[in-house]
Amino acid sequence: MNINCDDRERIFLYGSPEEWAALQLHANACDVCADELRAWQQLNAAAVELRDYEESPALWARIESSLRQQQAAPAPRKSSWTSLDFWRHISHAWQFALVGALVVALAISSGYLYTHRPVSSVNQGNTLLKTGALAEVERTEREYMSAIDKLATGAGPQLNADTPLMANYREKLLVLDSAIADLRAQAGENPSNAHLRHQLLAMYQEKQQTLQDVLETKR
Amino acid sequence: MGSVGLTLPWEHKLSPVERNGERRVEPFQEKAETLGIKEEVPQDASVAAACLSGNLQGYERLYRWQGTRMKNLARNLLGSQSDAEDAVQETFLKIQRSITSFRGQSSFVTWTFRILVNTCHDLRRGRVRRKEQANEDVDALPSRKELRAPGAHPSLRMALERALERLTAHQRDVFLLYEVEGFHHAEIAGMLEISETASKNTLFQAKKNLRAMLEPPRSSATGGAQ
Repeated sequence: MNINCDDRERIFLYGSPEEWAALQLHANACDVCADELRAWQQLNAAAVELRDYEESPALWARIESSLRQQQAAPAPRKSSWTSLDFWRHISHAWQFALVGALVVALAISSGYLYTHRPVSSVNQGNTLLKTGALAEVERTEREYMSAIDKLATGAGPQLNADTPLMANYREKLLVLDSAIADLRAQAGENPSNAHLRHQLLAMYQEKQQTLQDVLETKR
Repeated sequence: MGSVGLTLPWEHKLSPVERNGERRVEPFQEKAETLGIKEEVPQDASVAAACLSGNLQGYERLYRWQGTRMKNLARNLLGSQSDAEDAVQETFLKIQRSITSFRGQSSFVTWTFRILVNTCHDLRRGRVRRKEQANEDVDALPSRKELRAPGAHPSLRMALERALERLTAHQRDVFLLYEVEGFHHAEIAGMLEISETASKNTLFQAKKNLRAMLEPPRSSATGGAQ
């Protein structure tokens, strides 16, 4: 087997016994390889110096005692995280695959839940107000409307001003009044529909806020 | 090259380890024979089975079989006899706690030494953390080294111990497991959860670094030759 200096490190790393023998032969005629080989072998020999296999007479007794104590102690409750220990024993490729599968499953289930979600407005719309509650809602509505009318009266002079801002407010109030009229018409046909009542209340609140804004502008 | 104080006395007449190249010389081969152990695998499996059954005699067999080797490795990783004994004890407790998770994917000894190496790393890290908290100099770690029974070449051993401290933890683990404890690369790969090739490469780098740290300064070597 022909060996040269370039083969030396490869043989140190992965050399077969035959290659080591060939390197030894080569080293007989090559000072550099002879030095390297000697240093390498001396390092192996030096490692032997780190072997100290003396018995520690008391160590087993100490270990045995602690093993007995641990055995006698009640088993600690397994934390929920220890059940995930299997995770560490599977390869990274499988970990990525499982995470990917989990993400896809979550996405699909979220999509399913979203598309098949109960339509809240329908549910709310179908929610019927009981007779007593309906009477109370209607009374409160009337009071609210009366208060808003008073507010509208107060804001009237300001609203009639010929400015672009007031023109915007007037337009907004027209739209709100139109929406309120529609909702009241619907609520008249279906007075127990809580959803319509909620929408109506939201419109009233919006109108109230708009009128207050007009009054604020006046100040 | 910063080899002051680490110079290996190469002039020592060391009998080279008869490795037949890199063919393994198992340091425990003779020991196993004196214990009447013929083959390693049945021993390994029977000790594992005894431990799994909860019988403390199983642990005792493991200790009698591998205890001194475990203590020696821990001693070389931690630099102190008492820390090494603590590490071995902690390893046995961990084995007892997690024996049911041993699936036999590696040999029981490989599994045991994996736990030992991790325990030593934990102890080492804990020691560094405590030193940091106490605002002490972490570099003072090697000072924890204790004197131990003099070998044939105490100066050589001390130089090697000091050089080992300057290797990376990974290189130190592989060097000690292969060169000192006599494990195969396949076993080391199982213990350190690396590939066999990575174990070989790491050993090669470790030895190259040790060689660089331990070789006499070039100038003095040349002078000596003249």
